[in-house]
Amino acid sequence: MEIIEKIKTNKSSNNLTEIQKICLDKLQASPLPNPKSEQWRLSDKSKFSNFLNYSFKEKNPKFNAPFPHTSQRTIRLVIGDNSQINLVEKNYSIKQLSEYKLVNYIKEQISCFDQNENWSDLLNLSLNCTKNTLGLKINGSEIPPIEIFSHASSNSLNAKTLVIFLEKNCAIDLLQVNLGKENSSLSQSTFFCLEENSSVNHGVVSYGENKSNLLNSLNVIQQNNSEYNLGSLHFKFNYARFEIRIKQSEGKAKTNIKGMQITKKDEQISTFTKIDFNGPNGFLDQINKSLADDKSHAIFEGSIIVPKIAQKTDASQLSRNLLLSNFAQIDTKPQLEIIADDVKCKHGATISQLNEEELFYMRTRGITLTEASKLQLSSYIQEIISFIPVSKDRWDLLDKLLNEN
Amino acid sequence: MVNENLVKDVVKEPYKYGFVTDIETEKIAKGLNEDIIRLISQKKEEPKFLLDFRLKAFKKWQKMKEPDWAGLGYKKIDYQDIIYYSAPKQKEKISSLDEVDPKLLETFDKLGIPLTEQKKLTNVAVDAVFDSVSIATTFREELAEHGVIFCSISEAVKNHADLIEKYLGTVVPASDNYFAALNSAVFSDGSFVYIPKGVICPMDLSSYFRINSGDSGQFERTLIIAEESSSVSYLEGCTAPMFDTNTLHAAVVELIALDDASIKYSTVQNWYAGDEEGIGGIFNFVTKRGKCLGKRSKISWSQVETGSAITWKYPSCLLLGEESVGEFYSVALTNNLQQADTGTKMIHIGPKTKSTIVSKGISAGNSKNSYRGLVKMGTKATGSRNYSQCDSMLIGDQASANTFPYIKSQQSNSEIEHEASTCRISEDQLFYLQSRGIEFEEAVSMMVSGFCRDVFNQLPMEFAAEADKLLSLKLEGSVG
Repeated sequence: MEIIEKIKTNKSSNNLTEIQKICLDKLQASPLPNPKSEQWRLSDKSKFSNFLNYSFKEKNPKFNAPFPHTSQRTIRLVIGDNSQINLVEKNYSIKQLSEYKLVNYIKEQISCFDQNENWSDLLNLSLNCTKNTLGLKINGSEIPPIEIFSHASSNSLNAKTLVIFLEKNCAIDLLQVNLGKENSSLSQSTFFCLEENSSVNHGVVSYGENKSNLLNSLNVIQQNNSEYNLGSLHFKFNYARFEIRIKQSEGKAKTNIKGMQITKKDEQISTFTKIDFNGPNGFLDQINKSLADDKSHAIFEGSIIVPKIAQKTDASQLSRNLLLSNFAQIDTKPQLEIIADDVKCKHGATISQLNEEELFYMRTRGITLTEASKLQLSSYIQEIISFIPVSKDRWDLLDKLLNEN
Repeated sequence: MVNENLVKDVVKEPYKYGFVTDIETEKIAKGLNEDIIRLISQKKEEPKFLLDFRLKAFKKWQKMKEPDWAGLGYKKIDYQDIIYYSAPKQKEKISSLDEVDPKLLETFDKLGIPLTEQKKLTNVAVDAVFDSVSIATTFREELAEHGVIFCSISEAVKNHADLIEKYLGTVVPASDNYFAALNSAVFSDGSFVYIPKGVICPMDLSSYFRINSGDSGQFERTLIIAEESSSVSYLEGCTAPMFDTNTLHAAVVELIALDDASIKYSTVQNWYAGDEEGIGGIFNFVTKRGKCLGKRSKISWSQVETGSAITWKYPSCLLLGEESVGEFYSVALTNNLQQADTGTKMIHIGPKTKSTIVSKGISAGNSKNSYRGLVKMGTKATGSRNYSQCDSMLIGDQASANTFPYIKSQQSNSEIEHEASTCRISEDQLFYLQSRGIEFEEAVSMMVSGFCRDVFNQLPMEFAAEADKLLSLKLEGSVG
C-alpha cells in the first residue's frame, strides 16, 4: 500500500498519465505480491521490501559507461537521456515511437496482464512517466549493433521502460545493460515485439554494486518465423529478479535462451521464465545456469506451456546449478504443462559442485587449486557469455566475473 | 495413420469390481463433531490417549483450510454429509475365519483375494478391510512364530498399545495437512505391522481395502515398524463399487525403518474412477510417508495408480539415518475425466543418503495427470545423491501431462539430477508392430507396458502381472 501512496503523493493525481492511473488502480487491487503465489514464494521478503524502501526519483544522474564507446559502428542509447532518435540510413531506420503509439501498445499489453505474474510491470508502469520510456521502431537490414543502457542513481528507486518493435525481415544485435548503483533500486520493464521473419540476438547484462536491487521484466512476443536469441547475465545484486515471458503468438518461431545468475555474500538472484506456445511448430532451447557462493540464494523457475493448438512443438529446458558453499542455497523448478500430444518436450535439472576429479587432475599437473577452480568456472560461464552479443569483444565479462572480489 | 476410433474402442473395459455387496451394516449418523469422534473411539473401545489424539487432531482440522494448490477441479466436499463409521454387522468376537459372514468372504473371493486359508497357495498374508473395519487377517500364527505382528490397527490398539502410543503420528503428525488431520480424527481401521529385530518377514504382507457403502468415507491408517536389521514387503490393493456419488478416501500410511531395516511398500490402486462423463468415483486424498530413522535403512515405494476420480498422493521419504535410501517408482494412468496429482518428496537430512525417483505418467481421454515432487538436500546431507526421472505419455490431444519438480539444495557436497520427457505412442513403432501381424490393441498395450517397464520391474511378483493387465484394460479405447 505504502508504495502506491508514495507514488500518489509524489505527484498530484492530475499529473498522472493514463497508463499510470490504470496501473495504480490495478496495483491497489493487489498491492504487494502474494508470497502464496508460486512466482513469489521463494522471494526473500525483507530483501523485497528493501527494494521498495527507496524514494522514487525521476531525474537521471550522469551516465558512466562500464566500457568505452569506441566503435563507430555501434549505436548507443541511454534510457531517460534520449534526445530525439531518428536514424534513417540507406539500409535501415531506427525511429522513436510516437507517444500515441507507445501508449496504445502499452495499454494493449496491460489488458493481458495477470495481476500476480506481471506485478513488476505494473509497478514499473505506475512509476514511470514518458520521460524514462524509450520506444523504438526498427526496420531494414544491415543494422549496426545497438546498446541500450538503463541505470539507477544512489539512494533512490528508478524505473525505466523499453519498447521495441522489430519490423518484418529485420535482424539486429542488441545489448541491454542494467546498471545498479550503491543503495539503489531499479525497475526495468522491456516489451519486445518481433514481427514475421525478424531475428534478434538479445543480450541482457545486469550488474550492480553494493546493496543494489533490480526488478527486471522482459516480455517478448514472437510472430511467425521469427527468431529470438537471449543471452543474459545477472550478478552483484543484493536482490534481483529477472522475469522472462515469451509468447510465440502463432507458433512456428524459434527461441534460444542462455541465462546465468551468479550470487555471492547474502545476495538473492532469481530467474523466472514462462514460455507460451500459442501455435504449432514452435521451438525452444533453454539453459539456465546458477552459481551460488557464500550465504547466497539462487532461484530458477521455468515453465513451458504447450496447449492443444501447439502440435509439433519441440521444447527443451535445462537448469544447471553449482553450489559452491555449504551455506548457499539453490532452488530450481523446471515445469512442463502439456496438452498437445504430438510434441517433443523435455527438461532436466542438476545441482552439484565443481568436479573433484578434474580439479585433482589439474593439481597433479601443477595448477593451484584456485587456478584450477577458476578454469572450471570459466568453462562453465563461457557457454553463456559467448551467447551475449556485442559485449564479447568490448567488455571482458569473464575476467570481471572471475577476478573481482 | 492410426484409426482413432479403433483405438478408442480398444480402451473401454467396464470396471469389473463395481458390484455392491448386500450386507447389513452398522452405520452411525452423518456428520462430524466431537461427539461423533467420541462415539467412534467408544465403539472401538480405545484407550484415552487415542481419544485425546483424535480430539486434538479434530481441533486442528477445524482450523485448517482445504488445500487448493494442486489445481484439481472437483466440487466442494461437504464434510457433514459423510458417514464416518460403517461396519458390517457380525458376531461380537470372531475366533476363526469360519465365523466371518460368508457374504464377506464371497466378496473378497470375487475380488480375487483369498481369505480362506486352505486356498492359500500364494504365501501372502492378507488383512482385509471392508468399509471401516478389518474383517480378517490371515496367516497370523505362522507370522507370530517369527514374532511378526500383523493385525488390524484396532486390535493393535488393544494388544500393543505401547507401540501405537510410541509411534502413531510420529511420521505424519496430525497437523501435517488437512486430510491427514481429518484422518487422525476419524480413522476407523487399517493395518499394523511390527517386524522385530533381525527378522526377515517370511511372507509378503498385504492389505486389501474395499469401500462398499456409497455414503461413508474410508479413513484407514496403516503403521509399519521395522526394527533393526529386519525387512518386510507390504502390498496394498483397493477397489470400490460404482456409485454416482463421490466417496471420500483419506488414508494415512506411516512407515518407520530403524538401523539396517528395509520396507518395501507396493500399491495397486484401482478405486472406481467414475464413468466417462466423470460422474461418481472416489476422491483419493492420501498421505503416505516413511521415515528412515536408522543407519542404512531403506524405504521403497512402488505404486500403480489407475483408479479414483481424483488422486492426491505423494508417498515420501524422510532420510534421517546415515546412508539411508529412499525409492519411489510410480505408474499413474488417467483416462476420461480422471485427475491425478501425484509424486513424491525425498527429504535428505542425514549424510550420504540416496534417493531414486522413477515416475511414469500416462494420460488419455480428457484427463489430467501431474507429477509434483520435491527433492530437498538439507545442510547436513553431505555426500547425498538424488536421481529423478519423470516421463509422460500422452494419448489423444485432449489429455494433459504436467511436471512440477521442486528441487532445493543447501548442501554443496551433494548431487541432484532430474530429467523429464514427454512423448506419445509412436506411429512408426505401432506400424512396425502391426506389420508384423500384431493386433492394434496388443501393440498399444505392449508399448505402454514397455514404457512402464522400469516401474513394473520393481513390483512384487504378485502385482507385476496384475499391473500389466490392469493397465492394458484401463487403456482400452483411448489410444489415438
